[in-house]
Amino acid sequence: MITPRQLASTVILFLIGSSSLFLLGGNADRDAWMSVLVGALAGLLLLSCVTLQIQRLEPDRNLIEIFKLYFGRIIGFVFGFIYVIYYSYKCIRNVREFADLSIMYLLPDTPLSMVILIICFIGGYAVLGGPGVFFRMVEVLLPILVMIYVVLFILLLSAGLIDLGRLMPMLEHGFKPVWDAAIPEIISFPFGEVVLFLMFWRYTAADEYGVVIRMTIKGYVFAGLFITLMNIITIASLGQFAGWSVVPLLQATTFVEISNLLERIDPLVSLLVFSAVYVKLTAYYLGASIAFSYLFRISLRIAAIPVGIGIYVGSFWFKSYMHQVNVGFERNLKYHFPIFQIVIPIVLLLVMLLRKKVRNKSNGASQRQR
Amino acid sequence: MFKKQTAGNDKQAGDDQKQHVEQLLVPDLEQNMERLERFLGGGADIVCRTLTHRSFPNQRYALFYIDGIVDGTAIGTMLLGLLEDANSQATEETDSLYTHLMERSIAVGKIFPATAVEEVGYAMLEGSSVILVDGSLRAIIIDTTGGESRSVEEPTSQTVVRGPKEGFTENLRTNTALVRRIIKSPKLRVDYKIVGRETRTNIAVIYLQGIAQDDVVKEVHRRIEQIEIDAILESGYIEEFIQDKAFTPFPLIQNTERPDTACASILEGQVVIMVSGTPFVLITPVTFVKFFQSSEDYYQRYDISTFLRLIRMTSFFISMLLPSLYIAITTFHQEMLPTSLLISLAAQREGVPFPALVEAFLMEITFEILREAGVRMPRIIGPAISIVGALVLGQAAVQAGLVSAAMVIVVSFTAIASFVIPAVNMGIAARLIRFVLMILAGSFGLFGIMSGLMVLLAHLCGLRSFGKPYLLPFSPLIVSNLKDTFIRVPWWAMRKRPIGMSSHQVPNQNRIGGGKRPDPDQEGA
Repeated sequence: MITPRQLASTVILFLIGSSSLFLLGGNADRDAWMSVLVGALAGLLLLSCVTLQIQRLEPDRNLIEIFKLYFGRIIGFVFGFIYVIYYSYKCIRNVREFADLSIMYLLPDTPLSMVILIICFIGGYAVLGGPGVFFRMVEVLLPILVMIYVVLFILLLSAGLIDLGRLMPMLEHGFKPVWDAAIPEIISFPFGEVVLFLMFWRYTAADEYGVVIRMTIKGYVFAGLFITLMNIITIASLGQFAGWSVVPLLQATTFVEISNLLERIDPLVSLLVFSAVYVKLTAYYLGASIAFSYLFRISLRIAAIPVGIGIYVGSFWFKSYMHQVNVGFERNLKYHFPIFQIVIPIVLLLVMLLRKKVRNKSNGASQRQR
Repeated sequence: MFKKQTAGNDKQAGDDQKQHVEQLLVPDLEQNMERLERFLGGGADIVCRTLTHRSFPNQRYALFYIDGIVDGTAIGTMLLGLLEDANSQATEETDSLYTHLMERSIAVGKIFPATAVEEVGYAMLEGSSVILVDGSLRAIIIDTTGGESRSVEEPTSQTVVRGPKEGFTENLRTNTALVRRIIKSPKLRVDYKIVGRETRTNIAVIYLQGIAQDDVVKEVHRRIEQIEIDAILESGYIEEFIQDKAFTPFPLIQNTERPDTACASILEGQVVIMVSGTPFVLITPVTFVKFFQSSEDYYQRYDISTFLRLIRMTSFFISMLLPSLYIAITTFHQEMLPTSLLISLAAQREGVPFPALVEAFLMEITFEILREAGVRMPRIIGPAISIVGALVLGQAAVQAGLVSAAMVIVVSFTAIASFVIPAVNMGIAARLIRFVLMILAGSFGLFGIMSGLMVLLAHLCGLRSFGKPYLLPFSPLIVSNLKDTFIRVPWWAMRKRPIGMSSHQVPNQNRIGGGKRPDPDQEGA
C-alpha cells in the first residue's frame, strides 16, 4: 500500500526523472523556460481533466482492469498489451539514457551490455519488492536528491555562473516559438507521462479519492516549478551554449570548483541526475510488470522476468545515444507518445462516460417501470 | 523423549495411553523416592534427607534438592525450621503430616503442591527443593532457586559516560527485577515461557499493557511458541527464529545489556524478550535509526546528543563506503581530485604492485584478522598483537612498498568509524556490505557504488520488524516521530510517543504535558 505522501514524492521524482538531462524547449532558445511553463500548464489540464477523471470513475481498478471492463476482453487485452509495450519502450529509453550517459561520464571502458545488465538488475530488484517497496524507496530518495539539487544550485550561484541577463530579452520573436516548442513536445515529455500512474493510483491508501487528486496535483505542481527553475538556471548559466551540449546541467557543473577540495564535481552530479533517471525507469519497469501480470494473470514476481528480459534486449535497438535522443525528440514526442498520453485516455474517458450514462439511464428506466 | 521412556518402563501406566502418561505419585515413600531418583538419573549432586516428625512417628518424609543450583541460605533456614519442628510436638490437631508441613513448618515463601513425578523432577532441575511425604499423594515443591551467579555489574559492551551503571546478568530473575525496579507500574506484564526440549530455558516477554500494541505482543508470543529446538543457549537463538526475514545483513531485532535501554523501549511500546542465561535481552519491533541511538543520548543535553547521532550516522556511512569510494576515485575518476593530491597519491602508489581493489582487500582482510585476534586471544598477550599489527603490518608494509600509506589511512579510519556505531550488530552489517561495495567500486567505479546503494535502499525498504517498516519514521514518513531520530529534541518537546510503534489509543499517546518548556520569565510573571 502507498501513502498519499509517497504518491506525491513519486510523482515529483518521476517527472524530474530524465528531464534534467535535456534542455527542454530548446527550440525556443532563451525563452525555453516559458515553454516549459506552458507545457506544464497544458499537462496539468490534461492530468486533471482526463487522466485523473478516468481513475475517479474507477478508483479501485488499474488501467488494464479498466480496459478489460469497458472494452471487453479481447479489445481490452489488445489495448492493455499496447500499453505494456509503451511502458516497456519508455523504460528502454530511460535504461539507454542511463547506460549511455554512465559510459560517457563515468565508465568509458565498460561494455554497454554490462552496464545495461546492471541497470536492469537494480531496477528489477526494486520491482520484485512490489509497489510498496518502490514507493517507500522514492520517499526516502526524494528529500536527499532535492537537498543535493539545492546545494548544487547554491554552488552554481556562488561560483558566479548564473547570470539572469542571459534570459533577456524575453519573447524576442513573439509567443509563437514558445508555443511551438511546448505543444506537443513538452506535454508528452515529461508532463504527459503521468499517464503511467493509472497503474499506481489504485494502490494508494486514502480514505477518499480527493486525497489522491490533491497529492498528485501537489506533486505535479512542485515538479513543474522545479523543472522550470532548473531550465532557467541552465540557460542562465550557459546561455547560447545550453542548446549545444549533450547534458546541459552537467556541462554547467563542470565549471564549479569548491576551493581546492573538489576540482570537478560532475561525476557526483551525474550520479544525482542518474538516481532520478533510475526512479523513472524503475517506475516504468514496475508499471509494465504490473500491467503484464494483470494481462496474463500471473504474479508480479514472475511477470517482472519476461518484462525485464524484454527491456534488456530492447535497449540494444538504439544504435547510439544520439540515435536514441533523435528518435525520441524527432518522432516519438510528436507522433507516438501523444497517442498514449492524450488520444487513448480521452477515448477511454468518453467510452467510460457514455457507458456510465447508458447504465444510469437503464437504471432510471427500470426504476421508473417499477 | 524422556516422557516416552518413563511411560514405557512403567508397568502401571494405562495400556491405552502409551505416550505422555504422567506418572503420578503413590502413597509409598520408598517407591516415590526410587522413581524420582530414576527420573533424575541419580548423581552425586542430588541430595536426599529423610526425616521423621515426633507427632507422626509412622510417617517419614524426605527432602530432595540438587546441590549447587539451590540457594544455600534458604536451604539452611528451611532445614533448621524443619528440624526444630520435627523435634517438637504438634500443638494443634492436624489431619496429616502433609498439611502440617505445608501449613506450619516450611520457612520459605513460595511453596506449592505437585502430584506427578515428572513435575517434581523438573521443578528440582529448576532449583526447587521437594518434600515427599509418606502416605501422601502430593509432594511439596519449595522454591529455593539460587546458587552461584554473577552479580549485577557494569555492562561491558554498551558503556556510557553518564547514566546508570547496572547491567543485566545471566540470571533471569535478577533481570526481571532490574526492570521492575525501574518501571513500577501495574501495567507492566511479564509473561513466562519455556523453550528448548533439553535446556528448558526460561524466557520472559515483558511489555506495558495498553502501550505496547496488542497484535505485536500476540505475534511475539506466537513466534516464540512456534520455536522447536533442543537447546536455547543465548538470545541469539531466539532472534534468528523470530525475525521477519532470514536473508539480510541488517539486524531486525535489537539487543541490549542495559536495563535503562530495555525500559525506555518498553515505555515506547516495544516488547522485550529476556532469555535465561544471557545478559543480552531482545527488543522488538525495532527500526533502523534505533541502532544509532545510545541510552546516553537522553541523559546528556539534546544539542550534544543530536551532534553525536549525526556523527554516528556519518561513521556508519564512512565505515560502509570509504574504502569503496577510495577505490572508485583512484581507479576511475581521478579527475575529481585536486591536482596536488592526485600527484601525491600517484607517487605513493607508484611502487605498489597491486591494483587499488586488491590493495584495499588485502588491508581490510588484515584488519579483520587483527580484530578477530584481538577478541579471541588471551588478554595477557594483547600488547604483542598491537605491536605486530601496528608496526609490522602498518608501517613496515608501507615501507616495503606493498601498500600505499593512503590506503593504510583509509582502512584505519574505516575501522575506527565502524566502532562508533553503538549497536555491534549494525556495525557488522556495515562491515559485510563494505566488501560487496568494494568489489562493485573496483569493477564499475561510482556507478557500481550507486547501483549497490540503490539495491541496498530497496532492500531496506522491503524489510520489516514484526510487521513494522524498518525505515519507519522516514518511509512511511511520520513527521511527529522525526524528533527522535538523527536529531533529539529536548525532553519537554517530545510530547508524543512514537506513532506506529505504540498503541493507537489517543490518551496513551501523550507522555509529557504541554507547555513544559523552561521559561523563567513566564513563571515570574
